[in-house]
Amino acid sequence: MNKQGLIKIKPYLLVLPALALAFLFCYRPFFLTVINSLSNVSLGGKRTAFVGFDNYGRLFSNASFQDSLSNTLRFTLFFVPTNIAVCLGAALLCNRKGKLASLNQVFMFLPMAVAMSSSMMMFKMMFNPSIGIMNHLLNSDIQWFSDPKAAMFLLVMAGVWLDIGFDFLLLSSALRNVPKELLEVSNLEGANPWQTFTALQLPLIGPTLLFILVNNVKDAMLISAPVLILTEGGPFRSTQTLVYQMYLEGFKSGNYALGSTIATVVFALTFIIMLLLLSLERKRVYYQ
Amino acid sequence: MKKFTPLLATLFSLIVVFPIVYSFSASFFSYTDFTSIPPRFFSSQPTFSNYTRAFLESNLAGFLSNSLITATMGTLIRLSISILTAYTFTFFTFKGRDVLFVLIIATMLLPGDALLIENFITIRHLGLIDTYLGIISTSLLAPTHIFMIRQYFKMVSSEYREAAIIEGCSDSRFLITLLLPISQGVVITLALQSFTGIFNDYLWPLLVTNKESMRTVQVGITMLGFSENLDYGPQFAAITLLMTPVLIAFILLNKNIKESVSTRFTGR
Amino acid sequence: MKKLSIVLCLIALLAVPSLFAQAKGEVQDQKITTITWWHSNSGLLGKAADAMVSEFNTGIGKELNIQVESVYQGKSSDVLTKTKAIFQSGSNSELPDLVQLDASGVLDIRDNQYLISMEDLAKKDAYDLNQILEAAKLSVTYKDSMIAMPFNSSTILLYYNKTALEEAGISTPPRTLDELAETALKLKKTDEKGKTIRYGFANVPTTYELIVWLGHQNGVTYITDQENGHTGIPTKVLFAENGTMETFLTKWKKLYATGSLENLTSDVNGAFASGRVAMMVGSTSNLTTVHQMIGDRFEMGVAAFPMVDEQANGGVNVGGGALYALDNGSNNSDKTWEFVKFATSKEQQLAWHIATGYFPVNRDTYTMDEFNTHLEANPLYGVAIRQLQASNPKLQGLWIPSAYQVYYAFQTGILKMLVEDKTPKETTVSLEKEINGYLEDFLRMNQ
Repeated sequence: MNKQGLIKIKPYLLVLPALALAFLFCYRPFFLTVINSLSNVSLGGKRTAFVGFDNYGRLFSNASFQDSLSNTLRFTLFFVPTNIAVCLGAALLCNRKGKLASLNQVFMFLPMAVAMSSSMMMFKMMFNPSIGIMNHLLNSDIQWFSDPKAAMFLLVMAGVWLDIGFDFLLLSSALRNVPKELLEVSNLEGANPWQTFTALQLPLIGPTLLFILVNNVKDAMLISAPVLILTEGGPFRSTQTLVYQMYLEGFKSGNYALGSTIATVVFALTFIIMLLLLSLERKRVYYQ
Repeated sequence: MKKFTPLLATLFSLIVVFPIVYSFSASFFSYTDFTSIPPRFFSSQPTFSNYTRAFLESNLAGFLSNSLITATMGTLIRLSISILTAYTFTFFTFKGRDVLFVLIIATMLLPGDALLIENFITIRHLGLIDTYLGIISTSLLAPTHIFMIRQYFKMVSSEYREAAIIEGCSDSRFLITLLLPISQGVVITLALQSFTGIFNDYLWPLLVTNKESMRTVQVGITMLGFSENLDYGPQFAAITLLMTPVLIAFILLNKNIKESVSTRFTGR
Repeated sequence: MKKLSIVLCLIALLAVPSLFAQAKGEVQDQKITTITWWHSNSGLLGKAADAMVSEFNTGIGKELNIQVESVYQGKSSDVLTKTKAIFQSGSNSELPDLVQLDASGVLDIRDNQYLISMEDLAKKDAYDLNQILEAAKLSVTYKDSMIAMPFNSSTILLYYNKTALEEAGISTPPRTLDELAETALKLKKTDEKGKTIRYGFANVPTTYELIVWLGHQNGVTYITDQENGHTGIPTKVLFAENGTMETFLTKWKKLYATGSLENLTSDVNGAFASGRVAMMVGSTSNLTTVHQMIGDRFEMGVAAFPMVDEQANGGVNVGGGALYALDNGSNNSDKTWEFVKFATSKEQQLAWHIATGYFPVNRDTYTMDEFNTHLEANPLYGVAIRQLQASNPKLQGLWIPSAYQVYYAFQTGILKMLVEDKTPKETTVSLEKEINGYLEDFLRMNQ
């Protein structure tokens, strides 16, 4: 090949690895998932017949899926506000100067240093009803893994703990970027902390808060690994989420078609959320 | 109200940090310390045996080295691909460039978790089960990284590159001697992010490793078999061992971490 | 920057060779065959399994140039997930030579082309399969052939807090669900505020319990057609038409109405051992562990699994797991068989029994002096063994597709009946519909 030709194809060669990966691990599996959701798929993973939207019909009448869908929505509904309230509260409380404040801040973001699987193992042991520390501390005998309400509560708490480090840092830095002069003026005017927060800080950290909100919703809709380690979807399927059921159907029951159908539903749900995220990001001004 | 803020903040932060402190303390518990009434926060007779058991009765060291290897490899390949791709999309003009760029960035819209089943089958067909490459395969493409590095590269005018090329400077030299130094900050941040991301990954390594000798530490730590039998000491010891270096790093680097988050937080 | 790039280059250099490193390549003497065994034994069981493997490796294994490598692959369901993932991939090279699975996995494995029938291996070696306990053998018999080797066999038992029973003036443990309800009510304790501080009984019945509670009614009945899937792929459940589910649920609802039943799905052993629950049902294999957990808090007793009613005389089935030999292309099956033979020999089954509580599957173990001495010293084990001997060997475990979802269908359905006050009839109908749906799905997808 002559030099001219080489120069022409050079850019294509350079982006080839990324394109190949995108095709191999994103687009191809995506299309296969959609096709599988419209087919009968055998235990061996072979498509045996095209069945149109049959699988979707069966899925939505499947008791297990109805539980997954409602659990996922319930989890999102509990987790997102709790997480934002907790993280924002933490950030506001720690938004001070001094040695103690920076110690508080370090403590707040330390959970970020613990990997998800370790954290969930920690929670699992601490919340063991008979020998875990939590029931002793709370002087209760809550059956964390046998009582559906308690298990959901636990999962929400675990989710908050997994997220607090990062979200706290984001909110703290947003709060720090609120100009000092404005805060002083508001102080001089005699505004109470609540007024200062709603009138001054909240609008300024708005973009960060929105970013966290959308990300939290996305994470909550897709939650699976913490469920797998902490509760395994139990008790009574009360913590079985969509992606967790997809994992069950695909890897435990060998029901590929149903698993793919769930995956497609998850795609559709998260697609909407991600579009929202992207449009929000576009509005954001990058601070560089 | 103002007066109570430090008190409240301290109380709050202690609750948040409690699981970490408790894990540390419990890693020195003997079997009876867990079942004693009233409950203990500190062991009556601190024992190191949990640590020795965690190591001797499991393959923790092997798991850890698998994780270090995959995280390092994954980070290097992922960054190389990201830099190369970002460079090409910034400085080359070619037919279909914008379409290809969108094609790569749009993969962000497909959540990896929902692709698990098909990706697993792909890895199977490629014969990459129980290989390091299999473990990192799905984390090699990082659209957000490509996007952010490109934002950096864009600061350098492409005329500058053309001039350099005419002067006889090769693309690789231009990239290494000029572009990388000025975007050092973002590259290091992304490298750290990739490393921790791949190191902490759970579900995918769980699926693509069967042999005990290929297990990563995040998977291995949930499969030590101690906690199933309410033998919590060694389990806490393993967790403590794993998190302590990271905790120390976080405490030492806490200022840098705060800053890096405050300047850019679009990553994962 | 320079330093950084040097470090990066070094790491890259280190990482390159590992890129294609497969752990397979541990260099070994070529004459030695390594047999991989995937299992789910942790804690006490794990130690016993490791002891067995190391005895083999340093003894017979060394003579025959066979080394067994045991791999703990997590809980039983995790082992199955891993194995199935490889089956579905259509290639067998990553399969272990031997895998320990429980009944929930049989349906996925029994027709698989990579399964090596244990009976064939035994025949090749002229091994007398009559050494193996009849009920245990039937628990892994499919189409008149023993497809696996029973290894960790157990039955379900009633565990009770003997001290609590004595305090309540009860001398014999309950035999039927009616008696269980009575006893549980007497054992229930509340504090001055009316809060329950001790429940009489804790359980949420699911596949494991229902195989027996439905199955032992009227001699022997099955949950599904095809004799619980042992003669073919089940196509529908039978518990609605033969009335067994409704009979059972009626009794169960009565038990719940006493207020002494706690719907515990996890940590039941912990609740029992801490004294918060006075009775539970569990596998014989928990005996040793539970005993250890109780310490000297109270005296534990075990009894035969309670019957649904006086007509329920089928006894219990053999649960637990078995060893499946798989073909991973390395032609090691005769060597795998050597280990299987070793693991189910009378001596090893005795050691395994003493360490874990699983009952010996080898008939010859039962006539050993050591066995009987151990039994005398630990009479609780005798209860399990007598219970099994009195059972109908035709009562067998459930081989069903989507076993995991079926498990949760039972659990969820029964809880709904209790807390939403549905009738046993309604519950039966909805369970029938849901589980038949899974069976239809499987048949539709795998015609």
